[in-house]
Amino acid sequence: MDRKRIAGLLSSTTGLALTVGIAFVIVIILIFVLSKEPGRAIYYFFVGPFTKSYYFGNMLNQSIGLIFTGLGIAVAFRSSTFNLGGEGQAYAGAMAATVICLSLPSLTGIVGGTAAILGAIATGAFLAGLSGFFRMRWGTDQLISSFLISAAVILIVNYLVTGPLDDPTNSMLTTARIGQQYQFLRIFKPSKLDISIVFAVAAAIATYFFMQRSHWGYEMRMCGINREFSRYAGINVAKYLMVPMAISGGFHGLAGAVAVMGTHYRCLKGVTAGLGWNGIAVALIAKNNPVAVIPAALFFAYLDAGARAAMLHADVTFELAKIAQAVIFFLVTAQALYGFFTTRKRVAA
Amino acid sequence: MSNTSFPIPMLHSTIRIMAPFLLAAIGGLFTELAGMLNIALEGLMLIGAFFSVIFAAATGSLFLGIALGIVASVLAAYIFGFISLHLRANIFITGLATNVFAEGLTMVLAFQIFGNKGVIRFANLPRLPVLSNPSLQRIPVLGDILVGHNILVYVSWLMVVLASIVIYKTAFGLRVRGTGSNPGAVEATGLSPRRYRMYAILISGFTCGLAGAILSLQLGAYVPGVTAGRGWIALVAIYLGNKTPLGILIACIVFGFAESLSNYAQGVIDVPADFILAFPYIITVVAMIAYSMIRHYRLRGSER
Amino acid sequence: MEGITKFFAASGVLANDAVDLVVEEGEIHAVIGENGAGKSTLMKLLYGLEHADAGEITFRGEKVAIKDPFVANRLGIGMVHQHFKLVSDFTVAENVVLGSEPRARGPFIDRRSAVRDVSKVIEEHGFSVDAKRKVQDLTVGQMQQVEIVKMLYRNAELLILDEPTSVLTEQEIESLFNTLKNLLGRGKTIILITHKLEEVMQMSDRVTVMRDGKVVAVRDTKDVDKRELSRLMVGRDILLEVDRKPPTYGDPVLELKDVTIRCRGQGRPLLDRISFQVRSGELVGIAGVGGNGLAEIEDVIGGLRRATSGRIFLHGEDVTALGPEPLREVGLAYVPADRLRRGASLPTTVRENCIVTKHHDFLRTGILQKRGIRAFTERLIEHFSIDAVEGMPAGNLSGGNIQKMILARELAAETDFILFSEPTWGLDIASSQFVYEKMLELRQRGAGVLLISSNLDEILGLADTVLIMYRGRIVGRLENTESLSKEIIGEYMLGLRDDSQSPSAVASAEGSRG
Repeated sequence: MDRKRIAGLLSSTTGLALTVGIAFVIVIILIFVLSKEPGRAIYYFFVGPFTKSYYFGNMLNQSIGLIFTGLGIAVAFRSSTFNLGGEGQAYAGAMAATVICLSLPSLTGIVGGTAAILGAIATGAFLAGLSGFFRMRWGTDQLISSFLISAAVILIVNYLVTGPLDDPTNSMLTTARIGQQYQFLRIFKPSKLDISIVFAVAAAIATYFFMQRSHWGYEMRMCGINREFSRYAGINVAKYLMVPMAISGGFHGLAGAVAVMGTHYRCLKGVTAGLGWNGIAVALIAKNNPVAVIPAALFFAYLDAGARAAMLHADVTFELAKIAQAVIFFLVTAQALYGFFTTRKRVAA
Repeated sequence: MSNTSFPIPMLHSTIRIMAPFLLAAIGGLFTELAGMLNIALEGLMLIGAFFSVIFAAATGSLFLGIALGIVASVLAAYIFGFISLHLRANIFITGLATNVFAEGLTMVLAFQIFGNKGVIRFANLPRLPVLSNPSLQRIPVLGDILVGHNILVYVSWLMVVLASIVIYKTAFGLRVRGTGSNPGAVEATGLSPRRYRMYAILISGFTCGLAGAILSLQLGAYVPGVTAGRGWIALVAIYLGNKTPLGILIACIVFGFAESLSNYAQGVIDVPADFILAFPYIITVVAMIAYSMIRHYRLRGSER
Repeated sequence: MEGITKFFAASGVLANDAVDLVVEEGEIHAVIGENGAGKSTLMKLLYGLEHADAGEITFRGEKVAIKDPFVANRLGIGMVHQHFKLVSDFTVAENVVLGSEPRARGPFIDRRSAVRDVSKVIEEHGFSVDAKRKVQDLTVGQMQQVEIVKMLYRNAELLILDEPTSVLTEQEIESLFNTLKNLLGRGKTIILITHKLEEVMQMSDRVTVMRDGKVVAVRDTKDVDKRELSRLMVGRDILLEVDRKPPTYGDPVLELKDVTIRCRGQGRPLLDRISFQVRSGELVGIAGVGGNGLAEIEDVIGGLRRATSGRIFLHGEDVTALGPEPLREVGLAYVPADRLRRGASLPTTVRENCIVTKHHDFLRTGILQKRGIRAFTERLIEHFSIDAVEGMPAGNLSGGNIQKMILARELAAETDFILFSEPTWGLDIASSQFVYEKMLELRQRGAGVLLISSNLDEILGLADTVLIMYRGRIVGRLENTESLSKEIIGEYMLGLRDDSQSPSAVASAEGSRG
């Protein structure tokens, strides 16, 4: 490795450390201001997730969805396509998986489950692919169209959950429970951690190799870095305005399916809320590197788990995690903190 | 539907409902003209909603409540602007951050102060004064629709006028628009584009704070997540309104009407409320696609 | 300006190295130099857009610190940038007053007096723009007038014009020069940045020559001639050392028939019925001044832009409608003019740059074969003696090595037709020489080579057939014989000669169409 690269890596690592450090400092300050027992709250916030296997398992479980959505965003960003509709795609995926499971009550788990997962992926891919298609065809702004489609989809899924698919026997706003055979194996009881974490990790590694070594991955990356160059060299750049979006949407749909089949066993109202937005943060922390998405997702899940533990054992509330996440969100793209972006821009005239 | 008086209260509530949209969108218009996609409107509104009702209840003064709500929101906008402009972060991501931050902060504070995260009612909260002028109200139709709202509704209309003047008649407006169209041109005259961007962000903080104040003071309570996507719809209104104050006004009337319709339609006609709420998003995406199609086919033949 | 030094840490470029520049009041002072000599940077320092690392600026006897254009304006320094700094959806008046708007009351702009004041400046100097029109509706020449009005409105005494003629038509240039003489008559001082010697001789009183960030000479214009200036600019008498053997032509590999590109809303087509062919073993050079259709020819042959009408044949196949990907399959190799954006992807590794046009060859069941790619890249690096490591980002390479890398990649395709566009622009002599040798090698091998270049030495030194473009048309087709000189080509390039208008040329064009 040459010097420049190491320097770049270093400054990006220190930037990230600084970002996380600032987030923690703000959380600690907030706890001191708000809590009557700050020591206890801080202890549980930072150490809590590791004190009980239940917390720990749930933290890992929480990271599964974030790995999938983080991967979806990383693939899209790497290709310079913008998927802002993750929330809707994940929610629609959850709904698609639920509907398929509910309408195929007598199939075996493998067959019906595969159908449900594929259906969820296809749903997410279709929704995101639409935005890709509009941009490819007419140059419609992808950022905004994907958000708008997602916002509309969320409301429509809400309608399905609370209207025609509502389970009248349950007081919660939710669909009926999916069949036993479709529920993923729990591997770390009493926590909700299920077998799909294995798939998530495998998916991250597979995505890494897909992006680095596969035909499509290479062309997508080239388009992402320099579209003019790619077009000149004969890569079908139009195609790669849509393909990465569809892949991204597929990952989000998958995250939705896993939330239903692995954790909740039903499509609750807002079952995937936050997965889309946080997926963006996870991908940014990971610098769009698919393998780095795993620790980034774990870190986000850790913040959540810490706040939950602190809420149960002390007098602060769970939303403390949101503030920490917001601080990271704020700073993760701040070029002033990541020296190595800044030297790029200026070119001698 | 034969009842002829039916549309009047619906139009009346349209006017009430659209006020927060209008205010947030007008603030967002400044940032948009300065060349920034401001998705923080939602979060800024939420902060305004929370702090205005808290301070109004604490001080017993409506004015102080609104003022401090706005201060909080402008402060948040400053943080948002500082990180985006001075630390050179991606404004889109920091906008998301602002929304997450607002959500977290209001929840945490509500919990710490009131011990719960649900709806917080305030017994002796001062009510927003309502403009009721019997002689004006006697004007047929218009009187029924336009009179009898709280004063902030009228403030929101005033803001539209004010914004038009500032944008089109003042040096400041010219500079903000120049910043958005070609920051290089502004820089070449010795002005700092970054400064005008910051001003625009602070203006959006101001109007969003006011928009939030309307939401919660109308209810007389703080409802978690009271903004419910209104900031996003305001953003949509800017695009649909073709980035002009008048266009935004029309877009907001449409959205206000849609929401009002959904309130009234429940039980009357068989369209689920969620579908009607989805309407602004769908209509905007269709409009966007149509717009880009037209542009695409106009450019064709020259560029490939 | 004295001892001005500017170093761009990011790119490692010492743009200005202890530069002294003295401009006397009431003169037109030309600053000349090749691309990248540091002229523009020096002017940006004077205008406050960049800040010097060392040195000082004295203006009218006083030491000044110009921290931003605002200060420059106040001192009476104005600048017209090469790329106009105008807000296209504003009116002329709005653009001119931006930043120093006349006020009615408080913050309100006094529109009427803005239009009136601006119109007054326009009239006084005999410009032809309407203060109330939107800038986007103006011609390029008019936009430049707006820029000049902008300076005059601010009472600039020292006017800097950065390459003002590069985008103008002949008539516009003439009217600009009249304007400048007029301004001089009113006691203004003008700095004219250019790399065109004609303009220096015609317009300036004195001239400062820059090369590689340094001032190499300051002369009174009347004491120098073009030859001396050009020698000073490039540091040597230009002379290409290439050994061009007599050509042997084969069948046509590329043929264009009446290729036209029209832009909506523009009267003159960008390309107007372009017809020519390149035979195997032939090196065809297309010369012209920028903006006369060279870039469009590059794009249309490269498949990046579609012809409005006309046909293109490559190896006998009709490729008119094909994009870059199928074109490369038919047999196109192409070294683009914009090598930093189009020709290479700077953040990407050398390896990934090298395989971009033929990565399909390294696929096995959809997976890129790392070992094969490495070996291939290392082979290219060796054969073309590129100073690089296969895993390093292309952006770390020098300009010459980036061009070698592109060359290596394009030549590796071993096609019988290769397009070169401005292949030595901004390269040092050794790298240019390398590129020339490769081009001649290809021609010798029997490939058809098309060279698009605004560098006449290159065209004269290499081409067998010379085509000259002017305003979208081919105005001259010449065999490159001993009698052909730069002066003759130059006359075609500037529109002074035009064979396409003569009856015989029209007849032959008609004939080829029939």
